[in-house]
Amino acid sequence: MVVRALSAGEQNALAHLPANVRAAERLLREKGLPTRRNEKWKWTDLRAAFDENVQFSVSTAPDQALTDAAAERDDFIGVLAGAFGSATSVGLAAGQSEIRIDRIGPGNFYPRALEIDLAPGAAMTRIVLQPAQAGLVLDSARVRVGAGATYRQFVFSEGARLARIETHVAVEGEHANVALNGVYLAGAARHADLTSTITHRRLGGTTRQLIKGAARKGGRGVFQGRIEVARGAQKTDARQYHHGLLLEEGAEIYAKPELEIYADDVQCAHGNTAGALDEAALFYMRARGIPEQIARGMLTEAFLLDALPDYLAEDVRTEVTVRIQNWLGAAA
Amino acid sequence: MLRIENLHVDVSGKTIIRGLTLAVPAGEVHAIMGPNGAGKSTLAYALAGRAGYEVTSGSAQLEGADLIEIAPEVRAAKGLFLSFQYPLEIPGVPTLTFLRTALNAQRKARGQEEISSPDLLKLVRAKAAALKVDPEMLKRPLNVGFSGGEKKRMEVLQIAVLEPRFAILDETDSGLDIDALRVVADGVNALRAPDRAMLVITHYQRLLDYIKPDRVHVLAGGRIAESGGPELALTLERDGYDKYLKAA
Repeated sequence: MVVRALSAGEQNALAHLPANVRAAERLLREKGLPTRRNEKWKWTDLRAAFDENVQFSVSTAPDQALTDAAAERDDFIGVLAGAFGSATSVGLAAGQSEIRIDRIGPGNFYPRALEIDLAPGAAMTRIVLQPAQAGLVLDSARVRVGAGATYRQFVFSEGARLARIETHVAVEGEHANVALNGVYLAGAARHADLTSTITHRRLGGTTRQLIKGAARKGGRGVFQGRIEVARGAQKTDARQYHHGLLLEEGAEIYAKPELEIYADDVQCAHGNTAGALDEAALFYMRARGIPEQIARGMLTEAFLLDALPDYLAEDVRTEVTVRIQNWLGAAA
Repeated sequence: MLRIENLHVDVSGKTIIRGLTLAVPAGEVHAIMGPNGAGKSTLAYALAGRAGYEVTSGSAQLEGADLIEIAPEVRAAKGLFLSFQYPLEIPGVPTLTFLRTALNAQRKARGQEEISSPDLLKLVRAKAAALKVDPEMLKRPLNVGFSGGEKKRMEVLQIAVLEPRFAILDETDSGLDIDALRVVADGVNALRAPDRAMLVITHYQRLLDYIKPDRVHVLAGGRIAESGGPELALTLERDGYDKYLKAA
């Protein structure tokens, strides 16, 4: 019997827990919600944010198998989704294709876990749109990609009191393609965390990852991206880029890119930067008569829009662009 | 038109310009020549208002209005233009969008009506053709992936579109082959006007074969060491800057 002091939020969660979600109860009582001591959560302290003000909805029909499996691998979002939100699985048969748009919020707390199974040759495009909100956002997708299949994802997160959007992709067939794009905006009192793992297990897969974000004073952006290329995944071509923009003093961006390669015949590249706007470019624009605020806005917008993938439908592109412009306008 | 009196400029705590006095009347083109490190670019940046180029004393006025205390964008709206030695790349901002934003921001600051997009497109296309700028380039992000020559041509295109009262050309010839130099010089010469003046900063005399200055000044040791007519440039080309370096 493990004896551990429960946090107020954990007690609250246990009090609202549906009786049949044993896995969640065990996880909450024994391990507890992750804190910064947990390496995977070191910049996103879930236990601290998960306070007594969290309002629980109860998952009407928790998927026991998914929730148990989530508990098995310490997948906190998967477990909480099984208990208080939705944990579902979808699949595409061989050769099928689908575009899915997941809108997150604006509820106080509705964690979601999605499992996606892509049969050989299937193609899924997933768009995740998460407008700014005061509550907690926990979202995870676990994707299995079959031979010759394609998984493309674009995440737009405006952050929340705490927002964590996880993507875990396992490339399990040869010559599969993965493309993950994302934009996060962390305004004052907003926390936006994009965490991903991509595991190549088979020959000849490709990954293209481009994440860009901006943070203002009092906001925090987090990018954790791990790409693993297993021994059998020869000829893998993986590229990962994360670039963050600190718009003001007091803005925070934390990034942890990881590339782990066990195959010897692969092409992998990554790049990671976080910094302020290019002062020289800013001066150049001002010297041509463009006022500083407008110049900053133009440079920041262009920086962020660079991470929008070409395949985005016009209405989604417009929606995201307008949201970015509004966010930047609020800064002026 | 431009009047600089006893200007002192510090960069990172070091005094680079030490008591520079210079007047460029309307309608004239003056050249500033000088050895490397003489402070030519420092003068250009200080006039345009770059952060870190601190004017510690003296004054600079454009048509009687003080330049030093006002923001770079306000200087631009008053008609000052600096053509950069190394034009910056502006990723994600199409050239045409940049030009429209700059021109309309200046017009707004001067209390003029904004120019419509179709009118601007017509204007820019005409000016671009004269400078042999491929119209396709106007859709590309400004200066991103442009060659050295293309960037300089784009600077001159911006002068043509923005129509400043006073243009400073900082080492506009650097990185240009002879054909590009001719195109750029023709573009600059076309901008000569009775109500406009220009200051051409250059290390070599070559550019002045194409842009004929009314006056030539030697900048050495942070001040004007000598002034003369166009023939001074030829003397400098022949004798070099040694005598000024020794004096400084």
